[in-house]
Order: sequence, then C-alpha cells, then structure tokens
Amino acid sequence: MTNQSRREFLKTTALIGTAVTGLSSKTNGAQTNQLSEDRMGVLVDTTICIGCRKCEWACKTSHEMETAPLDSYDDRSVFNVKRRPDSKSLTVVNEYLNNETSSLPIDVKVQCMHCDNPACVSACIVGAFSKKENGAVIWDGDKCIGCRYCMIACPFQVPAFEFEVALKPDIKKCDFCFERTKIGKIPACTEICPVEAVTFGRREDLVKAAHHKIKNYPNRYINRVFGEHEVGGTSWIYLASKEFEELAFPKLGKDPAPGVSEAIQHGIFAYFVPPIALYALLGGVMWINKNKKIEQGEEN
Amino acid sequence: MKSKLLLLIFICASLLNAQNKKVVHPNLSGVSCKTCHSCEVPTKENPCIKPCPRDKMISIDQSPEEGPEVLIIDKFKEQSDIYAPVAFTHRLHAEMSGMSGGCKMCHHYNPPGQVIGCSDCHELTRKRVDVSKPDLKGAYHRQCMDCHRSWSGKVECVSCHETIGTSKNKKKQPIGYKGKNRVHPKIITPDKIKFDTPKTSGRIVTFYHSEHNELFGLECQSCHSNESCVKCHNKNKSASLKVKTTEQKHAVCSNCHNTKLNCSSCHLDTAKPGFNHKVSTGFDNSKFHSKLLCARCHTEKGKFKGLNNECMNCHGKWTQENFNHKITGLVLDETHAAIECAECHLDKTFAKPVCNNCHDDISFPKNIPGKLTKKK
Ligand code: SF4
Ligand code: SF4
Ligand code: SF4
Repeated sequence: MTNQSRREFLKTTALIGTAVTGLSSKTNGAQTNQLSEDRMGVLVDTTICIGCRKCEWACKTSHEMETAPLDSYDDRSVFNVKRRPDSKSLTVVNEYLNNETSSLPIDVKVQCMHCDNPACVSACIVGAFSKKENGAVIWDGDKCIGCRYCMIACPFQVPAFEFEVALKPDIKKCDFCFERTKIGKIPACTEICPVEAVTFGRREDLVKAAHHKIKNYPNRYINRVFGEHEVGGTSWIYLASKEFEELAFPKLGKDPAPGVSEAIQHGIFAYFVPPIALYALLGGVMWINKNKKIEQGEEN
Repeated sequence: MKSKLLLLIFICASLLNAQNKKVVHPNLSGVSCKTCHSCEVPTKENPCIKPCPRDKMISIDQSPEEGPEVLIIDKFKEQSDIYAPVAFTHRLHAEMSGMSGGCKMCHHYNPPGQVIGCSDCHELTRKRVDVSKPDLKGAYHRQCMDCHRSWSGKVECVSCHETIGTSKNKKKQPIGYKGKNRVHPKIITPDKIKFDTPKTSGRIVTFYHSEHNELFGLECQSCHSNESCVKCHNKNKSASLKVKTTEQKHAVCSNCHNTKLNCSSCHLDTAKPGFNHKVSTGFDNSKFHSKLLCARCHTEKGKFKGLNNECMNCHGKWTQENFNHKITGLVLDETHAAIECAECHLDKTFAKPVCNNCHDDISFPKNIPGKLTKKK
C-alpha cells in the first residue's frame, strides 16, 4: 500500500512538474466538468434560523466528536463572540443584531460551502481534496501531507488544522455528512433543525425555491441568493433579510477563487521557478515522513 | 381509433376532475387550476401545489368555534425519542387571530373552501423531493416560534415540550394542556390614552378607548385587524415599539375620521373631555337614550350628521293614543290624557309643557297634570 502511495505521489509530483515546465495550470481542470446536474445542496434561510444550535450538536454527534450535552446548547451567551468553524466544531452559528425590521436577532450557520469550483481542491497539490458527484467537497486523510494550502486558498476560511494534535494532525471541515448521504441519510444538521432553516435538496431546486421565496416575500428578503454565483457557485446557498456582507460573509466575485498552487504556478510564468520546486521538495519530505510514521505504526 | 380512445379518457378525466373541484373548492369562481397546481390532474395524494402567492384567494370564514378546541401534535411520536408531544390550544389561538389577520395567519395558503390542516400540504418526512415548502415539523415549529419567541426570546425545546422520561405528569397530558374550554383571559382595555405628539401647538390627542368599544359599540377587530401578538404579549413594551410615519399613526383613526382636515378637533393643548352628546350636538340623550348604541338612531354606517333633535326622526308621529305617557314618569289624569300632545308640548322636542293655553294660574312643574311615578 505504501509503495503504491509513493508511486502515486511521484505521479502527482510529475504532474506538478509538467505544470511548472510550462503547461497551463490544469491540476483542477477536470473537477469543474464533474459537476452533476443532480448534485445536492442546502438552502440556509437566515430569516428562519432561531439560533438554537441543535445543528452544532448534531454535527458533532454524527462525527463522533466530543460535545457538551444537548441542553447546554441553550446557553445563548456563546453569541457574545463571533465564532468560526474550527477543528473541534465543523459548523457554528453566529448571531447578529437585526436593527431595522424586528427585535429578533439574525442567526447565521457557518460551515464549508462546498463550492462548485472549490479552491481547496485546486490548491491541494496531492489531491487530498475532491468534489464528489453529490456536491460534497471532502478531504482524504491518507493523501494529505499537511501543507495547509487549502486553508490559505479557501475564500471562506473553512478548513481547520488540528494544531493541538501533535502526531498526525487532520484537516477538519464539514464533509456534507458524506458518510451519511452515502447510505441515503440526510446531513445531520439538516435533519435535526426544528424549523428547517437548513433545507437539503437538489441544488438546482433549492436555487429555484430561494428565488420563489424572494418573489413571494419581497419585504422579508433582499434580492440575492448568496452562493448562487459567488466564486462560481456553492452547494450551500443562503437567504437573508440584509446584505450578506453585514452578516460577516466575505465579499466575493463570481469567478472561482484560484487555488494557491494555481496562483503560485501563474507566478512562475511571470517570475522564476524555484519557489514551486522548493514547495514540491518540502511537500515530498513531508510525504515521506508521513509514510514513515504510518509504516512505524504498522510495525508497532 | 387509438386517439379517439385517448380523447375519451381525457374527457372522462377532466369531467372527474371538474367534479372533484366542486367538492374540494366550492367557491372557486374563475380561478384556473393552473394557478396553484402544476399537474393536469391534481389528486389528494399528489396535489402538485406550486409555491404561488394565494393570499388573494384565501377565503376562510370559519368562526373559532367551528375549528377544533385543542390539537395534540403527536405526528412525530415515532420519530422523536427525546421530546413529548405538545397540546396546541387551537380555539384560543383562533379567537385571538381575529385581531391579527384571522385564520389565514396560520392557514396561509388555504385554497378557497374548506379549511385544511398543516399536514395536508407539509410532508411528514424531511428527506423529500419538493423543497419549495418546509416539512411538517419545520412548518409547525415556524408557526409557533415565529410569534412565541418574539416576546419570550426563548427557543429552548423545553419551553414547549416535556422531555420524555422526565415527565412527572402521570396522565401523560402534554405540557401546556390545561383542560378544554380554555378561553383567552379577558383583555384589559384602557379607558383613555393621552398621546403626546411632536406637534408644537395641539400637542395632546386624547383617545377614549372605552367610548369606542363600549359607547360606539366597535368590535376589537374594527380597529385591531392586523396586530402582531407581540404587541400585547411582550412584557418589554419599548422593545416592540416601532418608529411610525405620520400616515401610519393616523391610519387607525382615519378609517372613520377625516384626519386630513380639522386637526384641532383632536389635537389640543390640553386633554380633551370625553364625548358628551349634549355638549357636542345640543341634544341631551342622557335622559331617555343613554343606553342606546349610536347606531340605533344613526342608522347609516359611519354617518352621524343629518339628524335634528326632533323626536319624529326616529319615533314617527306621536299621538295621545300611541304614546304611553307613563314612560316619562308621569301618568296623566283622565282629562289630560285625552288632549292632543301638541296642546301642551308646543315644540317638536316635546320639552317642558305649557299650561297657559287653557289655564291662567297654573304652571308646570308647580302643578302636575296627573301622578308622578318616579322621582325626577
Ligand atoms: S468553502 Fe472552502 S473548504 Fe469548502 S469547498 Fe469551498 S474552498 Fe473548499
Ligand atoms: S453537513 Fe454534516 S458535517 Fe456539515 S455541518 Fe452539517 S452535520 Fe456538520
Ligand atoms: S438547528 Fe436550525 S434553527 Fe437551530 S441554529 Fe441550526 S440552523 Fe438555526
């Protein structure tokens, strides 16, 4: 197995090499075309979310992560600080004041957006990230070399690194409950939500449903579906009563975010080669070390 | 041949459909099926309802008494292993809904005709193909929480549900179930409200609430037709106060009063005394008409001008035969009972009688032409 992995690594390095030696950056080219028309998504309606944080609990429970008991999630003082998904929580809910229309706050669930053209996928030089046919962007621990390009590339700053784990740190991020959807279940967070503020369905249907809502309730929503076009479209899309940038969404264009490796490769054409060679070398060292660890583990 | 057969089938189907339509939507006049249904032949199993704004077609005219009293929401018994069902006091909510838009406040997409329940449209399963509307659990929770959390701010499950296993409640009655026949507590209404407006002159507007609902006989809904529950239920009143435009502030009055003219009829520098029929119109109604609703005399809705103070306006022509004088507190003696009314009551308001048409040395009320039955 290890030998095979090594061979695969060589292949990957060769690929990077090709890119370096002048061909256009095509490490991610194939990914865009794999998008299935039936890929799934989630519509998050922030005007409906009540900030109960059941989704946070369900996410942790379904991923066998450590969690406080369910009733402790009633504590709303966590909203005093704005949180980000991290290695211990793949999704978090933040609360914002709703000044104009209502005394009720606005609650926004945050997790990986499962981009249609994921920057994390194109950034990852060893192909540890992949966009699946059902829309999920998942991470493969066996391939990851821990370079953390994905973290830099992600326009939503989603992938988190287990800094606290010394031996074999993982990249942690929402996996769209890939293991659950594989066996016909729906993502844990969408299943538990008491008000169905997060609706799981075909992305195409969700986009349609979102626009219907805007049309039917023009006073409730601003006329924009976040994620419909941002960075080339995302599987998770959002509705809100006020501008998304006021709810801590990043300001993004319609073009897919470039992966770091791509950016570096473009850089090479303009300047010179050494950086990528250095990265490849470093990557190689990390890869070999990693496999050594695995081998040791196997021997033990 | 084949096409004829198909045509026949089609005609039968559409006839059937037409019949069904009559049963399900009795007052569906001129509305095309396509407005709401996406398929050719909607059935109960597959109504194929489109997400259309049906607000304008909704016609629910049920009274709260016609709906169920209490609903036990236990459709998820099998699915839920943590929380027990809740009792929803449907009638209580229905009664109060009159002030916030009526049944359609919850039965938001009710087609014309019978009232349909939530589960007729909202599916029981969350994993489903039609994502245009929430599943049943989502729909229920949204309906309840939309209002309830707006005044309590609470979203904890246990504010409505009991946790299974911890129930001390032997009868297994859901939380919130306080027996049938529960009615909304009497709403305490203010007697008068003094509005301090930003106007420099005519700052004070005095609104007599009790006059409007007791004296003028207005129903709550006549003015409060689109209130949100939070208006009353919020303990922290200032939190729900909104900044209103001048039009919005006047809107509730301008249904009946012309708020564009005569500002000073409401806007004064001091508090305005309550309505007094004698002071405002010159006709003292305190003696005989004080218990009447305005509409008994002012029969044309919203029109209060045009009557003068002559009794004939309402009573027709009084004669000594058709008028029972006893009602005034004076039973006439035989002689006077036979005389025409106008002999003593010279003016048409039948005010104080005059005696000197016949008598020289007699006057009313010093002398009485009969017997007093009650003190004046
Ligand atoms: S949000 Fe970030 S981590 Fe998630 S798919 Fe997009 S780029 Fe990758
Ligand atoms: S989809 Fe799964 S992994 Fe992602 S936030 Fe929801 S529960 Fe967590
Ligand atoms: S479970 Fe649903 S309502 Fe509760 S915080 Fe998560 S998304 Fe919002």
